[in-house]
Amino acid sequence: MNDFLNQVRLVGDWLTSSQQWHGDDGIPHRLAEHLTYSGVSLLFAALIGLAFGLLVGHTGRGAFAVASVANLARAIPTFGLVVLVVTLAGLSTTPVLVALVALAIPPILINTFEGVRGVDPVTRDAARGVGMTEWEVLIRVEVPMSLPLILLGLRIAAIQVVATATVAAYPGLGGLGRFIVDGLSRNDYQLVIGGSAVVVLLALVVQIVFTALRRVVVSPGLRVSASRS
Amino acid sequence: MIRFNAVSKSYPNGTTAVDDLSLELAEGGITVLVGPSGCGKTTTLRMINRMVEPTSGTVSLRGRDIREVHAPELRRGIGYVIQHAGLFPHRTILDNIATVPLLLGWSRKKARARAAELLELVGLPEEMAKRYPNQLSGGQQQRVGVARALGADPPVLLMDEPFSAVDPIVRAELQAEFIRLQKELHKTIVFVTHDIDEAIKLGDNIAVFRTGGKLAQFDTPEQLLAHPADDFVAGFVGQDRGIRRLSFVKAGEVPLRDGPVLTATTPVAQARAAAEAWLLVVDDGRRPLGWAPAAELPASGTLADASLVPLGHTFSLVGDSARAALDSALLSPARLAVGVDADGAVVGVADAQELSAVAAAEVGEPAANAEKADGDDR
Repeated sequence: MNDFLNQVRLVGDWLTSSQQWHGDDGIPHRLAEHLTYSGVSLLFAALIGLAFGLLVGHTGRGAFAVASVANLARAIPTFGLVVLVVTLAGLSTTPVLVALVALAIPPILINTFEGVRGVDPVTRDAARGVGMTEWEVLIRVEVPMSLPLILLGLRIAAIQVVATATVAAYPGLGGLGRFIVDGLSRNDYQLVIGGSAVVVLLALVVQIVFTALRRVVVSPGLRVSASRS
Repeated sequence: MIRFNAVSKSYPNGTTAVDDLSLELAEGGITVLVGPSGCGKTTTLRMINRMVEPTSGTVSLRGRDIREVHAPELRRGIGYVIQHAGLFPHRTILDNIATVPLLLGWSRKKARARAAELLELVGLPEEMAKRYPNQLSGGQQQRVGVARALGADPPVLLMDEPFSAVDPIVRAELQAEFIRLQKELHKTIVFVTHDIDEAIKLGDNIAVFRTGGKLAQFDTPEQLLAHPADDFVAGFVGQDRGIRRLSFVKAGEVPLRDGPVLTATTPVAQARAAAEAWLLVVDDGRRPLGWAPAAELPASGTLADASLVPLGHTFSLVGDSARAALDSALLSPARLAVGVDADGAVVGVADAQELSAVAAAEVGEPAANAEKADGDDR
């Protein structure tokens, strides 16, 4: 218990010391870097994952391929991928982003696909029957009905990306991983735990943002516990 | 109006859903497609809005081959109601109903105004507008399904077992509503059901399909009951088709006799003199009060002092059918059906025997039947 309190105090001291809030090595700058890596990766992953997830979910073709690709991608170790791409492509942000995109695609792809495929066939039939084109069936019925799962996929991806973007520090890039990597090499325990705490806080914020987003964009009609009249 | 010309539908696995169907459905009536499961009735229905494409033959709507029209555009002009309503769970009731108008590019305001009108038309309260489908009962959802189909006021309505997923009481309610709506709207309706009772109740014409996608008979309900084309149709319409036929005879045509009708002020002694087992006691306006069993009349006084057995129910000479009259006879303690006029005053009585004579008289007179059916306000 004492040990835990000590750690909390360490983190507190680190977070509140003014040197952490200025310059290239300060929290705001590193946070901005971190958010840039995460945001860009997530954007690309979402574009790819949503496009394929919607396409395959709607047409029903390629379902097996989606499952295989997603499982395969999940088995790839992110850190290994970063090292591999750095070795092949040289030191730049690209290998890190590629690795993060690869990490983020599977949850988005799988959940989007499952969401669309899970739409009640009766509802889909009704949508076509009242005269929706295939595109309208997708955009007006399948997407809004799969939103809970699509958001879940995006949230899982976002949290993983935010947590994993720390690996960017290994090949010498910035982001919140800098604190951890530098702390480890300098044996500066306070730096390691302080940096970790910021990453954890960021992941929590992502979680909260997605929960709020869900409230706003998911139709109340889709909430399971809707009361009967 | 809707014309099937040598239409067949078969699937790659060799099953034939519809086999060489030629059928012409008149404008402005309800045509019921009925038959056992696997008879191709739903496939036939779905070929009208191109949800299923025929393997051979043509379907035309108002003289135009439906394949000339882009499928989504065709469907926006045809109302479509399905078994479990198939409402969009993420949309409010109002927006569900406004679906087709919005697809047609109406402004949101105009589409919602139209939807509000339809909500009222199908008998749902205004406050339902903002609710979501999963907050409604099955029957209410089905009403919304009908309202959605009527969105852009299409001349043709396709209904695929719309009432079969709700309980019998709600079903009867929805059927009655449906008949009322059709009187108001005069749509051309194609209605699929596996329930012959529903077919007879709702259809102006009935197409009976047999397994394998063959049309067995296409006729009016009266003709179907009186002259089934073959054993399959006879078996399908059932053993009690004699009783069903009574539905097409108006109660006004039932021969009534005066019967033991006495006012409540009649002295008991005079009532005894009538020598009937049951006496129908009425008030000054000849409205029935109840049956008095002759055996239990009080020693003196008037019939007002007698203990009365409730009537069961009477039938009205205006509006009811001979079937209601028969029902009323069977349920009456005196085994007599009491016919009343529009004011509720007793006109006369008839027993089950006399009523069954009406059914017998109807058999074998198809011409007279058809005439009656035309004037029949079902």
